[in-house]
Amino acid sequence: MIGASRICAAVTGALFLLVVNANPGWADESADSQQFVRTLADKAISQLTDATLSAGEREQRFRVLLGDHFDVLGMGRSALGRFWRIATPDEQKEYLVLFEDLIVATYANRFRDYGGENLDITNVVKNSGSEDVAILVQSQIVRNVAKPIRVDWRVARASGDHKIVDVVIEGVSMMQTQRSEFSSVITRGGGKVASLIDELRAKTKSLLSRSN
Amino acid sequence: MWAVLGNGAKRIGALFLVSIMISGCASAPQDDPEALAEFKKLNDPAEPTNRAIFEFNRGADRYVIKPVTGAYRAVAPQEVRDGVHNFLQNLRAPIIFANDVMQGEPKRAGTTVARFLINTTLGIVGFGDPAASLGFESHDEDFGQTLAVWGVGEGPYVMLPIFGPSNPRDVTGKVVDFFLDPINWWASNTDNDWVPITRAVVTGVDARDQLWNVLNDLERTSVDFYAAIRSLYRQRRMDEIKNGGDADAPLPNLTGEFDDNPSPNVVAQSGK
Repeated sequence: MIGASRICAAVTGALFLLVVNANPGWADESADSQQFVRTLADKAISQLTDATLSAGEREQRFRVLLGDHFDVLGMGRSALGRFWRIATPDEQKEYLVLFEDLIVATYANRFRDYGGENLDITNVVKNSGSEDVAILVQSQIVRNVAKPIRVDWRVARASGDHKIVDVVIEGVSMMQTQRSEFSSVITRGGGKVASLIDELRAKTKSLLSRSN
Repeated sequence: MWAVLGNGAKRIGALFLVSIMISGCASAPQDDPEALAEFKKLNDPAEPTNRAIFEFNRGADRYVIKPVTGAYRAVAPQEVRDGVHNFLQNLRAPIIFANDVMQGEPKRAGTTVARFLINTTLGIVGFGDPAASLGFESHDEDFGQTLAVWGVGEGPYVMLPIFGPSNPRDVTGKVVDFFLDPINWWASNTDNDWVPITRAVVTGVDARDQLWNVLNDLERTSVDFYAAIRSLYRQRRMDEIKNGGDADAPLPNLTGEFDDNPSPNVVAQSGK
């Protein structure tokens, strides 16, 4: 019996080594991505949830976190989809500024009503189909009442740096939703990117606080 | 009861027909292959009609549904509204169970039975949800999802008056669920038509309450509310059909295009 269990342990150990060696670096990569999302969540909670912040201050702090942790440029291009190519350089430039403004205006002040929720990271999934290293960090926002909310962070590693490229809440991708909206605005505006820029200008002007 | 459903369906059908005659269908773009591909992918051939109905729904929301739900939120504190939501959800147990079974999910079917037994008794006719803290987390199923699991496609996007975003598959699901529900059999056999009607109204107010912040934020921040709702509805339904297991969803690469053949593997599982 002892012999059998020793063999068993040895085989298990060998298999384990084999699995670990077959995928060098992934364990680190997985831990890194997890830590990256963890750090972002902690920073967001400590910097954005203070109830005494003015709307403008909160937007400003959010903008800094956004630039540090998200691939805003890539997200902006992706949200414009096939219309990126037909946009003039000037349109591209103004669109990217407005895209960032829209994200700030949409999400920054949601942190004001923070009620002590926690972010638990539940899983890290690797996407081997893509050439770039793209990783899905799955998490849950745990609330005192009701069910936890599932939030998936799509993290890409372009030049060594981790950057978030999409956030998926309960199966709803922020980028996919944004892209379908933008595409709809442009299509209804006769295929002109300018029609979207006008909409974005009006929308961000009405949403962003004046003190920016 | 069948008469109630029949009238409702006839009325919706008539409204629908009229609005289709008024606004017609969107024409597919002919010159641009990319635009044509996108048009097919959106699968919203009746978009002008759907947008007209959507505007009607926004009016109904602004003048009736939202004020009623707002009043409900004002008089009933969160705990009471949670209780009502739990109660309505508990009433759905037979439907959820039937669909769990039809989708070949015996474990989830078992969870549904356990939840119903625990919450109907310990949870005081379903107002409480002690089952969740005993490890039987809630989940929802409907016949639209069952059809999807069976491989039925969703069909074109449809905006229903009052009921909101849907598609032929989910409309069929709603009708089948109605006829599957033992509460509706009982109401029909005992001439208690007011029961399904009241339940439908309360369920509607509860649904609007549950979506209060989401819809308010989205309406305020979206540049095309209709397109946002269309995208959201489809993504949510896809997620519900897959029971939240979306690890095989395509990840975008850095150019923002979606990969056609992603093969993600679950590699690390943190202890939770």
